[in-house]
Amino acid sequence: MSEPILQVNHLSKTFGKHEVLKDIDFSVNTGDVISIIGASGSGKSTLLRCINLLETPTSGEVIYHGTNIDKLKGGASAYRSHVGMVFQSFNLFNNMTALKNCIIGQTKVLGKSKAEAKKAALHYLGKVGMAPYINAKPSQLSGGQKQRVAIARALAMNPEVLLFDEPTSALDPQMVGEVLEVMRNLAGEGLTMIVVTHEMAFARDVSSRIVFMADGVICEEGTPTDIFENPKNEKTKEFLSRFLSR
Amino acid sequence: MNKLAELWSDIVTCWGESSSQYLTGALKTLELAVVATAIGCIIGLGCGIIQTIPCSKNDNIVKRIFLGIVKAIVRIYVEVFRGTPMIIQAIFIYYALPYFSNGAINLEVTFAAYLVVSINTGAYMAETVRGGIMSIDIGQTEGAKSIGMNHFKTMLYVILPQTIRNIIPQIGNNLIINVKDTSVMFVIGYAELFAAHKAIVGAKYIYFPSAVITLTIYLIMTVVFSLLLRLWEKKMDGPANFDVATTDTLAHTSGTYSFVKKSERRGR
Ligand SMILES: Nc1ncnc2c1ncn2[C@@H]1O[C@H](COP(=O)(O)OP(=O)(O)OP(=O)(O)O)[C@@H](O)[C@H]1O
Ligand SMILES: [Mg+2]
Repeated sequence: MSEPILQVNHLSKTFGKHEVLKDIDFSVNTGDVISIIGASGSGKSTLLRCINLLETPTSGEVIYHGTNIDKLKGGASAYRSHVGMVFQSFNLFNNMTALKNCIIGQTKVLGKSKAEAKKAALHYLGKVGMAPYINAKPSQLSGGQKQRVAIARALAMNPEVLLFDEPTSALDPQMVGEVLEVMRNLAGEGLTMIVVTHEMAFARDVSSRIVFMADGVICEEGTPTDIFENPKNEKTKEFLSRFLSR
Repeated sequence: MNKLAELWSDIVTCWGESSSQYLTGALKTLELAVVATAIGCIIGLGCGIIQTIPCSKNDNIVKRIFLGIVKAIVRIYVEVFRGTPMIIQAIFIYYALPYFSNGAINLEVTFAAYLVVSINTGAYMAETVRGGIMSIDIGQTEGAKSIGMNHFKTMLYVILPQTIRNIIPQIGNNLIINVKDTSVMFVIGYAELFAAHKAIVGAKYIYFPSAVITLTIYLIMTVVFSLLLRLWEKKMDGPANFDVATTDTLAHTSGTYSFVKKSERRGR
């Protein structure tokens, strides 16, 4: 097996006295599609944010291609240009059109030429079905459209791993489908992804691995079959029975 | 009615004799207000940015101490110049150098006036910019960081353009306040519109008619600025609609979509 892209070792995070993540270990290999599931407040978002250094872990380490991310050349910014993130609330730049949203990082962070960046941006916007809307500002788009632009923006950076934090939770039901469809296609193309989600059908069908979290620890980890057909842990069973009976 | 007719004829006479003095004064007022507001905005932008530089416990100690001192200086500057009347600031700055140098060094009146109004405006703008930066959703910063932008790039390309758009009304406010409040610069002998009025009525006994003329000129200047600022705001917002790019086969409609603001309801 090749060297993992990302490796999380003994990662903990406390906010004040509140221990949100406790001794988390897991690794991400090329082509993995990992779904992180678990109850609200179990620390899923915090884990993702620690991986992307939007939060500073209290202890433990994140290793990127064998190097601790604290010691990477170029610091957190350079690291983040390889590990993209898609947010629940989209976080598109409100002062730019859809196209500009997808260009700015390429020109200002990766140093690509304008023409090259525009070409890539148009390619990815087309891929997520947003080609007709390249001139729209975020305030002129629906939630599902915004999220697809946000995915295109992340893809335009050509990331090695893409993190998704509940990308469909802020969307109306009919828009959830269009975003999940885009994500399914990306998974099919072999993009390495870590997805925090409450969409169990998506997790079951698309993931190569499922991580179940409860109270800041990873309770159980395995293939979708392991987790959904034969959960071993009591907490996993309880969580899934509540979810699947809904 | 009689009195009004008399006033009108006095105004006409007064304007006829001194229009060039009024206009020169008005021009000086405009120059001072516009230039000092612009410089004040730059000072305010700098100070506002400095005050919002994040500083975490993990940063090295030299950086933290340096940043702490700079932030404290900015804070004192803002409090002093926001907390004292501009008319006293003008006297203070204009007369300080001659006092300490026993009259050997004097500031030029024009320079002193521009200096005082600029740094006074800067103190107000610093707070406006700081508030404007803090009011931008944290999601904008996180979005920028997530594609690898550092703090400087995040500010330059994402936060400040939005901040500036949001504070245009405040910039306008300051400009209009400066058009009026530069009148206090007569205390150091700067010949703006109010000084022109004082000079004209000093020469003749027409205090009230001249005040009407002066007031009207001030009002015209502020209203014109008001309108120009609205136009600028509109321009910053860009078009309310966008053209659907119809070259794509996915798009079966042509023409213009207009989803203005509606989609904001989903935002946080
Ligand atoms: N900045 C913060 N300061 C203090 N506590 C925080 C902070 N961020 C998160 N927490 C706490 O950490 C815990 C885990 O939060 P987190 O957002 O990671 O949960 P989650 O698993 O993503 O939940 P959800 O499914 O609702 O998104 C929560 O109890 C939350 O209150
Ligand atoms: Mg969450």
